[in-house]
Amino acid sequence: MTRISFMKFCTVVMAAALIISGCSSSEPSRYFGSMKMPKDNVLRYISGSEPASLDPQISTGQPEARIYGALYEGLVDYHPKTLQPIPSLAERWESSPKVDEFIFHLRKNGKFSDGKPITAQDFVYSFRRGFDPEVLSQSVQLGYFIKYAEAYNGHEMFVERNGKFVTENDVADEPAAAAERQPFGPETEFHTYLHSPSRLTVSDDPLKRAQAVESTPKLKELLKFQAADLNNPAGLAAKIKDGQDALSKFLAANLSPEALACAAECSDAGKQALADGLNKSADAGSLFAQDWFASLTLPEAAQKLADQIAAENKKRADGNAKIDEEIAELTDAAKIAEKEKTKKKPIGKLAYANRFVLENMFPEEIAAASFIPVEAKDIGVEAIDDYTLRITLRQSAPFFVGLLTHQFFRVVPEQTIEKYGKNWTRPENIVTSGQFRVKEYHPYDRLIVERDPNYWDKENVHLDGIEFYMIEEQATQLNLYKAGEVDAILNHSVPAAWIEEISQYKDEYMNLPENATSYYSFNVRKPPFDNSKLRQAFSLAIDRVSLSKFRKITKPLYFYTPTGIFPDYDKAMAKVGEEIRKQKGISPEDWEKLQKQFDPARARKLITEAGFPVIENGGKFECPSFPTDKISLTFNTTESNRQIAEFIQAQWAQNLGITVPLKNQEFKTFLADRNAMRYEGLAQSLWSGDYMDPYTFLGLHYGVVNDGGAGFHDPKYDKMLDDANSELDPQKRYELLARCEYYLRDQLPSIPLTINATNWVKKPWVKGLYPNPGTLFTWKFVYLERDPAKWDTDVNEIMERSDPQVEEQLKKLEESLVK
Amino acid sequence: MLSFIIRRLLLIVPMALIVITLTWGLIRIAPGSFYSAEKKLPAAVEANIKKKYGLDKPWYQQYGMMMWNVVRGDFGDSLKYEGQSVNEIIRRHFPYSATMGFLAYLVALAVGLTAGIIASLKQNSAFDYGSMSLAMLGLSIPNFVLGPILVLIFSLWLFWLPPARWSAAGLVLPVITLSAIYAAYIARLTRAGMLEVMRSDYIRTARAKGLDEKTVLLRHAIRGGLIPVISFTGPALAGLLAGTVVVERVFAIPGLGNIFIQAVLNRDEPLILGIVAFLSILIMVFNLLVDISYGFLDPRIRYE
Repeated sequence: MTRISFMKFCTVVMAAALIISGCSSSEPSRYFGSMKMPKDNVLRYISGSEPASLDPQISTGQPEARIYGALYEGLVDYHPKTLQPIPSLAERWESSPKVDEFIFHLRKNGKFSDGKPITAQDFVYSFRRGFDPEVLSQSVQLGYFIKYAEAYNGHEMFVERNGKFVTENDVADEPAAAAERQPFGPETEFHTYLHSPSRLTVSDDPLKRAQAVESTPKLKELLKFQAADLNNPAGLAAKIKDGQDALSKFLAANLSPEALACAAECSDAGKQALADGLNKSADAGSLFAQDWFASLTLPEAAQKLADQIAAENKKRADGNAKIDEEIAELTDAAKIAEKEKTKKKPIGKLAYANRFVLENMFPEEIAAASFIPVEAKDIGVEAIDDYTLRITLRQSAPFFVGLLTHQFFRVVPEQTIEKYGKNWTRPENIVTSGQFRVKEYHPYDRLIVERDPNYWDKENVHLDGIEFYMIEEQATQLNLYKAGEVDAILNHSVPAAWIEEISQYKDEYMNLPENATSYYSFNVRKPPFDNSKLRQAFSLAIDRVSLSKFRKITKPLYFYTPTGIFPDYDKAMAKVGEEIRKQKGISPEDWEKLQKQFDPARARKLITEAGFPVIENGGKFECPSFPTDKISLTFNTTESNRQIAEFIQAQWAQNLGITVPLKNQEFKTFLADRNAMRYEGLAQSLWSGDYMDPYTFLGLHYGVVNDGGAGFHDPKYDKMLDDANSELDPQKRYELLARCEYYLRDQLPSIPLTINATNWVKKPWVKGLYPNPGTLFTWKFVYLERDPAKWDTDVNEIMERSDPQVEEQLKKLEESLVK
Repeated sequence: MLSFIIRRLLLIVPMALIVITLTWGLIRIAPGSFYSAEKKLPAAVEANIKKKYGLDKPWYQQYGMMMWNVVRGDFGDSLKYEGQSVNEIIRRHFPYSATMGFLAYLVALAVGLTAGIIASLKQNSAFDYGSMSLAMLGLSIPNFVLGPILVLIFSLWLFWLPPARWSAAGLVLPVITLSAIYAAYIARLTRAGMLEVMRSDYIRTARAKGLDEKTVLLRHAIRGGLIPVISFTGPALAGLLAGTVVVERVFAIPGLGNIFIQAVLNRDEPLILGIVAFLSILIMVFNLLVDISYGFLDPRIRYE
């Protein structure tokens, strides 16, 4: 009975649904869903996940970036189409000949939302705050180009010796020749300091510092106790005390309470011994100076420690066996050395502490130097006057001004932050600096902002406000859009299953290449993929054109930098490619295959050469000797990641005869494993460029620790990149970078796969909102067009088309540049 | 009675602590942390973060610190949402879940009881078959299917109601979605309970005393017939108030369920623990209330 009526019910519902759908979509509509335009002059935008904070300096997220773009102003802002920097609070700027220093001229009418003027000092405060280790900014790396910013953020310390700071040149294997410096802006004391030879910085952790001294012979030599040090016994005593304080700190953190009691004694004994030593030093002179620490303090301190521990040992004779064992090790240096050699058993904490004290804590090198923490005031940011800001970098970085569009560099209100602390972003306290100010905030639902009457360029802010909706479900986002409840959605919001349908709506579907790439990184530290031939083979066996056809929205990626995003760089790549082809004498046909990275025959040959013969068997390929049990392709669990992985798995099976097992993981688990190189074979990666320069992609494999995910490090590549970045002519620099990219493609630490796509929708009445490569907006260009005749059409061409209102506004803004 | 309540209340405390401990352990076993991202953090920043949140200490110290905070009723600040305390987040978002859940509860009760009672009184009638098949349907369609179907019809075809977001009109669809399964369950339970009671001896006695049918039904039958319903709806109400993950996400309701999912994905430990503790206590208290209410509904049940 129940079943019959269920069937009946279903039939009725289906019929009703068909009738309804038949009524509403009898003719194919030009637009996707409801077209009721909002009555207010307010944009309704789905911004995705809930912002971690309204503080622009803390979080790195793109959903947040769009909100910060409305609330906070920086020195420069995004060009609505190209994302290149355009004037914002800085009217104009100039760079030093070496492009390692910039002077920004601020406009005088910039104001916070509470009406206070924005000056160069506010920028100095904001920048220093961003690097403050207590603030825990996660975007902080972007600013490490600023001189001493990394050292300040990492709690590092300058090294002072005899009243002079140790410089990087002092300890370098090959000291760089002192470069001649041309004056840039007014010379101030601070500026002279910034341009004095770069100071060496070391860790604030005594253990790491001692290791650094140990591993840098020149530094060790430099810091060695010298006769001259005796001229200043008081200073010396202070320095020794510093060392002891550090020791106490270390001991407190690492020793058991029992041992701690001894350590305190030991430290006192050390102090006494040192005081005695200093008294004697006046008589003993240089003779004492040479052996001072080694012969006097050290044995005494160690003896005292040993005595204490022996006493302790006696007291706890029937005590726990583990401590006894540790103590036995502690008092027997030979045993320690033996243990260290054989590494049979980890040395206990107490023994370790003892070794540490003996070897690291009291060497004369450390005792004779002072370590001075790098402070906020030391970083390369200076207010020359109220409206002139100078930023000094540690290296040439021609792309640096582009970086300053990022939220991390936007100006925040000093007084509000100092007054309210972490509560400063609450709606009742918040003070902002941007085109809009906070009107209402309902976490997890909506943030409403309104035009700020204090904003310096308020005449050119067209919207009365923006409503940001924090909604994460893609289906819900599109439902709201279709029902006409919102005007635009953030990027990557159209799910794969909907793309076919949505892409018909040519006036709304914003799908253009993005400043972002997908790739699979190899674990180059483990076999089999420590062999570059194998890496080449796996890359050459993937038909990227089919992959992108299958994915529908992406474009094939053959290199590391996405094409079509940096037109001048694309030209440089073509030019350099042709030179390399001629140089290597490769035929144009083979070159084409290499350029498109698809040549299964060559891939099989490479694998065979690497020792895993590929056998053809009735039109199918097999590679029985390849260790597929030792590798897998790891990706984080999403439907589209799985589809891509299965597609590529099939390509390898077909072209190489190798079936790579797939492994999926929850996102955070995956990230932790990949960043720690805990994966076998291959792992999926995605990279969104931080700024509009190829270096944001090429730098992924730069340095010992990098974000590439492959564990790749090649000093030659690093050197090539450094050289390229110190080239001042932009086109020549691009050519040098292109050479780096060709070199990297030969090493192939990862397999480039696709150039990602923006993939979002907006209603045609929203103007001035472009599918630019980062989907980042300067909201003051956005307006709502009431006249349907002027609505956006065929948005695939939107970047080539010009909007007179936007062009006019841009022209006005950029006038100040040529002043 | 009083001692029963006190005993049960005292039991809630260790139960909640066990739940929190287990949750904490599960979070710790899962690899990855709230700060892992595509972009690796500089070692110095990671060290600073660990220091600030005490993650550099041994696990038993961290557990001790966590438990001490929990016992004082302070779950600390969210790791993801800078400067927001867990207590504040729960206080802010619970009302959304509770409002939606309570409305759904009322709808489910109204629809379920009415349908169930009528069906039991008119057993084997067309109404009985019709409403019970509908209830079967309600039970078998999961809410993540029902929700989108309702959205499709009422928001995207007819444009009558908003497809999501918190507003009076926006609540209609999620409340219907949420209440459907409960209404169906209640209807079936009510019908079964009423049928059983109506055949019992004391009802026969009541009728024999010459009471009219209305009094029999309202004074005697309903009290007994609703016991299964009460034991179902008590915990159900707790579940509804606490927020329902799927419905809140599909309809973008800023309730606890939605926050909870995000907290798990973000590995936001204090927020996860806070919500788990809050929900487990809520559910235990409701179960207690249900047990107490039995005593009032059925004179045969007594608590010693």
